[in-house]
Amino acid sequence: MIKAENLQKRVPMVGSELEILKGITLEIKSGESVAIIGVSGSGKSTLLGLLAGLDEASGGRVVINGTDISALDEDQRALFRGQHVGFVFQSFQLLPALTALENVMLPLELQGQSDAQAQARTLLQRVGLGERVEHYPRQMSGGEQQRVAIARAFANSPTILFADEPTGNLDTTTGNHIIDLLFELNREQSTTLVLVTHDLSLAERCQHRFRLESGALVGGD
Amino acid sequence: MSMTATRMLARDWRGGELGVLVAALVLAVAVVSGISAFTTRLQTALAQESHRFLAADRVVRSGDEAPAAWLEEATQRSLSTAQVLTFPSMIYAGDEAMVLASVKAVSSTYPLRGELRYSEEPFGDVLVGLSGPAPGTVWLDSRLFPLLDVAIGDRVAVGEAEFTVVAAARTEPDQGGSFLGLGPRVLMHYDDIGATDVVQPGSRVEYRQLYAGDTVRVADFERWLQPQLVEGQRLLDVNEGQPGLGQALQRAESFLLLAGSLGVVLAGVAIALAARRFSERHNDYVAIMKSLGATSGDITRLYGRSLLLLGLVATVLGCSLGWALQATFFDLFGDQLPITPGPAGLRPYGIGAATALVCLLCFAWPPLQRLSQASPLRVLRRDMPLEQRRTLTDYAFGLAAVSGLMWWYSGDWKITLAVLSGLGATVLLGLGLSLTLLRGGRLVGMSAGSIWRLALAGLQRRGTANALQVVIFAMAIMLLLVLVLVRTSLIDAWQTQLPENTPNHFALNIAPEDVQDIEQLLRSEEVPGAPLYPMIRGRILSVNGEDLPQTDDREEGRRQREANLTWSDTLPADNQLLEGRWWEPSSDAAEVSLEIEFAERFGVVLGDRIGFQVGSEPFEATVTSIRQLDWQSFNPNFWLVFPPRLLAPYPATFMTSFYLQPEEKPFLNGFIRQFPTVTVVEMDVVVEQVRGIISQVSAAVELVLGVIMAAGALVLVAGVQASVDARMHESSILRALGARRRLVLGGLLIEFAAMGLFAGLLATVGAELSVYILQAQVMDMDYSPSPWVWPIGVGGGALLIAVLGVFSCRKVVSSPPLAVLREL
Repeated sequence: MIKAENLQKRVPMVGSELEILKGITLEIKSGESVAIIGVSGSGKSTLLGLLAGLDEASGGRVVINGTDISALDEDQRALFRGQHVGFVFQSFQLLPALTALENVMLPLELQGQSDAQAQARTLLQRVGLGERVEHYPRQMSGGEQQRVAIARAFANSPTILFADEPTGNLDTTTGNHIIDLLFELNREQSTTLVLVTHDLSLAERCQHRFRLESGALVGGD
Repeated sequence: MSMTATRMLARDWRGGELGVLVAALVLAVAVVSGISAFTTRLQTALAQESHRFLAADRVVRSGDEAPAAWLEEATQRSLSTAQVLTFPSMIYAGDEAMVLASVKAVSSTYPLRGELRYSEEPFGDVLVGLSGPAPGTVWLDSRLFPLLDVAIGDRVAVGEAEFTVVAAARTEPDQGGSFLGLGPRVLMHYDDIGATDVVQPGSRVEYRQLYAGDTVRVADFERWLQPQLVEGQRLLDVNEGQPGLGQALQRAESFLLLAGSLGVVLAGVAIALAARRFSERHNDYVAIMKSLGATSGDITRLYGRSLLLLGLVATVLGCSLGWALQATFFDLFGDQLPITPGPAGLRPYGIGAATALVCLLCFAWPPLQRLSQASPLRVLRRDMPLEQRRTLTDYAFGLAAVSGLMWWYSGDWKITLAVLSGLGATVLLGLGLSLTLLRGGRLVGMSAGSIWRLALAGLQRRGTANALQVVIFAMAIMLLLVLVLVRTSLIDAWQTQLPENTPNHFALNIAPEDVQDIEQLLRSEEVPGAPLYPMIRGRILSVNGEDLPQTDDREEGRRQREANLTWSDTLPADNQLLEGRWWEPSSDAAEVSLEIEFAERFGVVLGDRIGFQVGSEPFEATVTSIRQLDWQSFNPNFWLVFPPRLLAPYPATFMTSFYLQPEEKPFLNGFIRQFPTVTVVEMDVVVEQVRGIISQVSAAVELVLGVIMAAGALVLVAGVQASVDARMHESSILRALGARRRLVLGGLLIEFAAMGLFAGLLATVGAELSVYILQAQVMDMDYSPSPWVWPIGVGGGALLIAVLGVFSCRKVVSSPPLAVLREL
């Protein structure tokens, strides 16, 4: 379960402060799929970063599965992420110097798992890239890269998966395939899915939606 | 964390991320170890070569025979030894003929260094002898054969003993430039001295004990010997054997060490630049790993191990490359070097490894260490500014590392300080000036055409980064300019020291009635020569009316002594007046002009009165000027010069020097026959030796300069590379917006050229400052500004940086913009 309480984010500007998030309070139950929607600059990605523990809030707190991650330091948050959280990004964020297999192995290696390679192969097979494990990101299409990223995101069997505009860099058809895959895996592993998008049709596929406007929550269902 | 550093490095290597850093490190180690090995080998060789002028590594010179125990001690220390005794003596042949000669008795092991040359006929083909004459035999100077009217196989007498003439003595390695005990040479065996019975207590003789061997053992022996020396005994090393050469070698050594130090600095800068770029490119990498659960400890360990591994690989590769570089040089040019390069030992490679370690710790580690602080939020916001601020600690670290390495490498804090001062001036002036100018450029540029506006806007947008880049360019250019400037003045100095036609023969004891004939002969045979100087043998008796002590001790100091006096109405050509004034040509005042070192040794100053005695007549003269002589020229030089009228009443002989080419040597035969009383000293072999060594040192200097130039070029490339990503990105966007090739390239060209121009200007200022300190404090040379370096520094800087910059960014106009953007 994810709980955000009065979450705020401000960044200092010359002579003043810019308020990006103005006290967000929300709750996401385990196993739910949730979309955070809003126009560009509404603060979606900032909210995602705070919920996932990638950034520090200026005020308020985030509690995930009973752990107040706002009270953790960066290294403790990293360990927490490694154990509980998976990510899928708009720009894939694969390491260009690593092959598809090595990219998927990375979180497993960071966890110190001994059969990282076997697990990574299975996952790549699951996302339909069993034949391309030795390929580098630059040798793959955008859709393929995002599938590698999804395989990597599920590698450490996360309880929560955060996805930031996962189809933003893909054409509609490929995007739909990716989303299908994401939801499939989400069901199989009963992961909580938090998805940031401005694509309303994608948001419709989630169980709940939160709408952000100028850093404030203006609605949800 | 199980992912090992090896695997990350291997992956990085495959991904091409490590190329620049590894290249910089390997080159740094290669440059440092290569130059170090090269100079060590050359230094060993040159030191050996220069020891030939002593015929040994160390010599004890004394008026009495030095203790035989010293020779035994040296032998026990595995050194080789020899003994030499020089004394003037009459040589007799037949009933009538006799000549005053300079006899040199040598033991069988003489010479320990260098070669003894003789010929089987007077003036015949020169042969190399392993040792001097056997007991019972002598070698005579070629000139003695006609003077004594003897031939090979005849008998001559020295004192009470008779000897068979078996060869003509040509040159000895240690005959040097000393005019003491002048006269044609007779070489005999040391064991025959007793039989001649000419060496009596109080005779004017000079004993020499010669020692040679392994450098370390010789130095140990010197430490053992030094405290035992008593008055009248002097320990000589190469610097005293041949002062001119000693200084040339010292300067060359300073230069090579300077070059090496600059290599270290350049390498450090290249590594710092490469590491910075590496860490910038790894920010995303770290952010992704952190989002996947890596802690900052994981990151620190990962990069720490990677760096260590990288250091090991680079050290091995760099040392091998350094070894190969110097080995190739000696392979290619070894045959042309008349000297055999000595061993380099392991020290150069130790220096290489230490350089790698220090460079990695002080230049590469700070930016990499900060990677652990990179925010994982970059995975969501790639445009987040990099938290790569350099702190003052970083710069302090770098400065300490550079100074420490330079000091350790050159072993000379003056060199270190001179280079650091220049660098400091360049950096301070650079940051101030370039920030100001880059800001000002915007205002000017706004009204200019679009290419200019683009370029100047680009310069200004990255103001601080560009200022830093200008400073880095300036540092590299400055170091190269310093090296070029020092090299040029060094080689110039050497060339003026021994120009073509340097007199290589001296004629002494010329009687006044022969002066005109000799002048005429030299003129008619077109032999280039110096003017004839009068020479009067005199004795210094007193200073300011106080009689000096009479001792026979040969130590320098304030005592009565013999001296060669001369007169001149003008200041001799290569003399420099330091104090006082020169006399009027017609002056008959009792004045004397002293050479500075002589005056210092004698403890006399301007205005003191010195008492002389020539023949039986004493007179006094007041010191009215102090001069500096060029002892490295092979011209006649005098400590004491008087106004002509003052010395005119006394009997004088004359001396001169002239230049003969090797094929003109037979001129001497006729000369000696025509003027049998004149003493001719043949210095041609010595002059050739000195010239040979100097040309080798020059070649080495040029070569090392070339290697350092390559290191400098690497820094420039690394510096340009550091900003290539950002520039390519902007240019690609311009291209995507439809900017033509000319506009994009023109903008880049102007941008880089402007930076090169500033950098060149700063570099020239810094270089002049460094060179001033170096020449005045380290090389013991006169500083003179070099106006020619300004256009080269400024123009060259602009051109070089512009070409390098445009070349590095050329892809931006040859590839589709999207491809470029994707890669970045």
